[in-house]
Amino acid sequence: MTLIRKIALGSIVPAVLLAIWWAMSLQSSVVPSIGSVVEVLMNPSVAPADLDTTSITAGAQISILRVVLGFGLAGITGIVAGFLIGLSRTSREIFAPAMSVAMAISPIAWLPVSIIVFGLATPASVLFGDEAWRYNTLDQLSFAVVAVIWYGAFFPVALNTAAGVRGVRRAHMETVRVLGAGRMQMLTKVILPASMPAIFTGLRLGGGIAWRVIVAAEIFPGTRSGLGYMISASHEIGEYRYAFAAIIVIGAIGLVLDGGFRLLAWRVGHWQAKER
Amino acid sequence: METHQTATKSVLQFRDAGKRFCTPARPDLWAVRDLSLDCPAGKITCIVGPSGCGKTTLLRLAAGLDDATTGQVVLNGATVSGPSQGVGLVSQEGGLLPWMSVEQNVALGLSIAGRSRADRRARAARALGRVHLPPEVSKSFPHELSGGMRRRAALARVLCSEAPVLLMDEPFGGLDEHTRRKLQTQLVELWTEDRPTILFITHSIEEAVMLADRVVVMGFATKTAEIEIDLTHPRDPLSPDSLDCQLKIRELLQQTRQPQSL
Repeated sequence: MTLIRKIALGSIVPAVLLAIWWAMSLQSSVVPSIGSVVEVLMNPSVAPADLDTTSITAGAQISILRVVLGFGLAGITGIVAGFLIGLSRTSREIFAPAMSVAMAISPIAWLPVSIIVFGLATPASVLFGDEAWRYNTLDQLSFAVVAVIWYGAFFPVALNTAAGVRGVRRAHMETVRVLGAGRMQMLTKVILPASMPAIFTGLRLGGGIAWRVIVAAEIFPGTRSGLGYMISASHEIGEYRYAFAAIIVIGAIGLVLDGGFRLLAWRVGHWQAKER
Repeated sequence: METHQTATKSVLQFRDAGKRFCTPARPDLWAVRDLSLDCPAGKITCIVGPSGCGKTTLLRLAAGLDDATTGQVVLNGATVSGPSQGVGLVSQEGGLLPWMSVEQNVALGLSIAGRSRADRRARAARALGRVHLPPEVSKSFPHELSGGMRRRAALARVLCSEAPVLLMDEPFGGLDEHTRRKLQTQLVELWTEDRPTILFITHSIEEAVMLADRVVVMGFATKTAEIEIDLTHPRDPLSPDSLDCQLKIRELLQQTRQPQSL
């Protein structure tokens, strides 16, 4: 009963939005019909003939790979940095003010700077030089874009990790100290597990930001693949059904990403729900 | 016999021990001052005193969690300068780690010492049995247990590490009367089995008289009296002898003056 209720209530807003969309598509030639967008979505692996871009699946694959790379780096460096500033007061005093400023700047604002710094370099161009074009996928992961994703995800991960590390209760530390734990064991037995929920909150936030940033970065001139690029390419020729299809896919992937992190966060932090 | 021989020896001694805290508000706060105390081997020593009188600080000095500002704390003949293997601590809240299962918590000392998984399991199961916790709870998490069960699990942890000296900081605080009484009785039973040296902190006079061979009355920052309790276990808190001791301790506690600032 509650499930039926949940589904029924949750469907109201999407249904209203679909109705508005349908009504608007009748009035305007710019707004694509629902049917044409569904058609694009039903054939996700077919590259649009009228558009200089890859298929939806290929675009999603590239966007996901960019995020995996940038977000992966942000996760690793963010957790390490978070432990550093969480454990050491001096490093906190050195880095925290700068980080607060840096976090207030949209990662997209750095894209032009990032393009100047990294140019057109990709993992393929670094590894294979002139032969880079043979490795198409690797050659799409331009460092300039990956760096911007890293920037978006790094701060939430680092700051949440730091907060988690600082929030470890003294009583818990002392429990293991009395049982004879050394510094390393304090880290593995207490600090790490105790800050896990905060780390995963940071990863979930960072992942969400990374996914939003990638789409924005791909719309920026210079990138020629990915879901964001599909939106801008579709805008250029005035065929908005591809843009609408890409937006729906972006939302779906974002939803799955967030759900996955929620699940992981629950697994490492279920003890915390009833702790306080 | 063996127990009789060691009974005369003191395992844990405070020699003019003092601990000063420097807080911005009170730069010269002595939580414990010039306190001397012997905890005889194989006996239960209870410390009673009003809250804030320095009981917990005293225990932390013995556990090696804090260093004495003056004097020293001597454990088995050596000055305490940090946590040591032979000392088990049960803190006020029990100190169970919320992200570990009961079994992992009970065997925490063993896993820190690098003992094998099989060994940890076996000894945790035995310790849980000794504190009358059913084997099913070993996979539960602390937040899934009742207050009494959590205290039992914390007790199982110190039993598991087989420490000959146990420091207990109001381990049964905040429990209902019935559960508290049961745990007191069982603690005495466990103590009769391996005769560890116990330093037990409580603010309950009745609890002190139920458990202790010797009750130490603390005023603010220092010891005001020591009373030997020469009653056989199991004790009845309402027996005339017991009530007599309780009244005597109450009188001593009432004599200790509260400092001006409080």
